[in-house]
Amino acid sequence: MDKILIKKLNKSKLPIIAIDKNLEKFRGRVLFPEKLELANKIIAKSKLPVLNK
Amino acid sequence: MRKKRGVKNEKYLYKSEDKFEFFEFYSQGTKGVIKKVIEYQPTSEPNIYNLAFGDFDEKTNQINDMTVTNNGDSLKVLATVASTIYAFIEKHPNSWIVATGSTDARTRLYRMGITNNLVEISKDFYIFGYTKAEVWEEFVVGNDYDAFLVTKK
Repeated sequence: MDKILIKKLNKSKLPIIAIDKNLEKFRGRVLFPEKLELANKIIAKSKLPVLNK
Repeated sequence: MRKKRGVKNEKYLYKSEDKFEFFEFYSQGTKGVIKKVIEYQPTSEPNIYNLAFGDFDEKTNQINDMTVTNNGDSLKVLATVASTIYAFIEKHPNSWIVATGSTDARTRLYRMGITNNLVEISKDFYIFGYTKAEVWEEFVVGNDYDAFLVTKK
């Protein structure tokens, strides 16, 4: 069953996701504080690019 | 060296909670099975999220994004992480996603992951690289970047 699902997943851009409420345990935690700090520095320093839509 | 065909599209199955801000999957390679956690963390600016992932140590309940796992599946791990962007954007359609590497080697790996999948990714997303001059430019294959920025087309 897993093999079929993985094959389907590999062909699809839109992911097939299993919902697991256990992952709620991470909410409210910053799991990667250094990366967040770096991202905030970059965002503060440089404007977002303009999109040519 | 011969390359395995289709490898770049291989992904691991993963789980998420309702908001698609936390994901987990298991990397399976030469070093064994390693649990990975992906997080989309709100930044100081509305609608901009920081994408980060790392190894989850089930003994200590801690995450390490500095670990060099060397599990022999880095492209598959990157493809898995990249595919969560589709899920995240579905729930947060007007958001921007920033990703920085924890080391230069990791940032190069991200660049490689984007380069390998650029044709496919750029159909759906705008992709920018953060240059040494501290500006965002449209992603150019072969250029060095300190960070990456993605938003839906």
